[in-house]
Amino acid sequence: MQFEESTIKNALVVRVHESRIVADVAPQFKEGLIAYVTSGNKNIVLDLSEVTFIDSSGLGALIGSLKAVGKDGQLVLCSARDAVVNMLKLTRMDKVFHIFGTPEEAASALS
Amino acid sequence: MGHGVKILLVDDDPVARSIHSMLLHMQGHEVVEAADGELAWRLVEEGQISFVVSDWMMPNLAGVDLCRRIRAADFERYVYVILCTSKGAKSDLIEGMDAGADDFLVKPISPEEFRVKVRAGERVLSLQQGLADKNHELAKINAQLHSAHRLVEDDLKAAAWMQQRLLPLLTQHAHGVRCAWRLQPSGYIAGDIFNLFPLDENEIGFYLLDVCGHGVPAAMMSVTLSMVLTPDATQGSPLKRYDAATGRSQVLSPEDAVHELNRRFQSRDDRYFTIIYGVFNIRSSTLRFAQAGHPSPILVRSKQEPAILGNGGMPIGLWPEIEFDCFDISVTLGDRILLYSDGVTECVNGHGEAFGEGRLLAYLREQQSLPLEELLTCLLAEITLWHGNSEFKDDVSLLAIEITGEGILYRSSESSPATQQSYNRRRSDAI
Repeated sequence: MQFEESTIKNALVVRVHESRIVADVAPQFKEGLIAYVTSGNKNIVLDLSEVTFIDSSGLGALIGSLKAVGKDGQLVLCSARDAVVNMLKLTRMDKVFHIFGTPEEAASALS
Repeated sequence: MGHGVKILLVDDDPVARSIHSMLLHMQGHEVVEAADGELAWRLVEEGQISFVVSDWMMPNLAGVDLCRRIRAADFERYVYVILCTSKGAKSDLIEGMDAGADDFLVKPISPEEFRVKVRAGERVLSLQQGLADKNHELAKINAQLHSAHRLVEDDLKAAAWMQQRLLPLLTQHAHGVRCAWRLQPSGYIAGDIFNLFPLDENEIGFYLLDVCGHGVPAAMMSVTLSMVLTPDATQGSPLKRYDAATGRSQVLSPEDAVHELNRRFQSRDDRYFTIIYGVFNIRSSTLRFAQAGHPSPILVRSKQEPAILGNGGMPIGLWPEIEFDCFDISVTLGDRILLYSDGVTECVNGHGEAFGEGRLLAYLREQQSLPLEELLTCLLAEITLWHGNSEFKDDVSLLAIEITGEGILYRSSESSPATQQSYNRRRSDAI
């Protein structure tokens, strides 16, 4: 599980270098995201442009990370592909996550 | 291994034997002597000797033949053999190596050459012994692993058997419905589970749920859920409300049941489950469903296109403020409902292509005349064929329910799947 980090405005943009967030990578995925939170990042934008599929374990890891951010910070999504957006909509997780079109839009919203 | 290895010295010439014996003694070795090949062979065979220095030319058994015999014997230990030859006999060297000699000494033997060649032999034997010890240790560990693995496997098989016993009886059909099912765990035990049971004299409950993840943790939760989802209200079922004062219990609506489950199963870790919970009311011939994060059920009605029911919803245990779909359909004689887990639709073939909802619908359309049991047998075969084998990456579960009409107040219905969306009533609208 690899992440590529960049900063836009005062948000940390984390791009996921993985096409499938499934059971075998889900724990690393969550650990990685929580590490950003514990190292003091308050505004995190998760760039899902390379992700084509998220399974049930991946969804659990995503929500677990959101819970870990808690009230102290924000975790939002951007650049999600149709398949991923459809999955988030089917599970109504679009009500839990803010999903933006681009990293810039997401970063602006967090500023 | 330092100095002090036991060496068998074989020579028919007593003078040469005592000179060589003295040399080896001076170098700190224990020496056993033999006057010919046959005597030497008996000592080697007894099992105490693993280093032989032997003259070539001897009565009874020549050195090279002793060497051949040792190699042919295939002892558990390695026996290191040095042959002593006369000067300049090159063909002897080749024959000796062919017989399996490790090294050669040319007579007359210089004390220095004797010393280094014996040292070299000791090193080889020491390495050999080290390897043998390691092999022995590995074999022991391997046996332990094997027995531990068997223990785990036996436990898993027992757990799988217990889990299977929680599933509905194959022939189960309660008040006007018939059901058939298939469960193909991705390992021994599944995170998927389902059941069908009468809730009271008018209502039948059924569900299919999928705990996220696989293996033992998911299976333990699915078994727990199977125990919790009971029609016995006195056991604190989330499906019925029990009034201790009157001793009466009331069936909860699917939405209330799902809210109750979500309240009870908010977990600290990321474990959650998806469920379709349905209640069939025999009097009104209606089915009411709650769909929490689970793939949509499919309604198969004679001479009509199979229809996908519901608009999804949040899984249970992920988020406290759960939002999910709840909807009614009217059913008539012969209608079938298929519940399944995402292991069906997300099952991939060799090219990574998912089986998908489209193929599932097409199958149900083409095979709708098959009896319920065969329908599922053939569907599972179809999915297995798609995957290439039955070792699925995720649990595959199927629960099919057919309205048989026994005991039903039959009501003709104009409803069709095309207008199914109008039955949908999201909870947000209902409140």
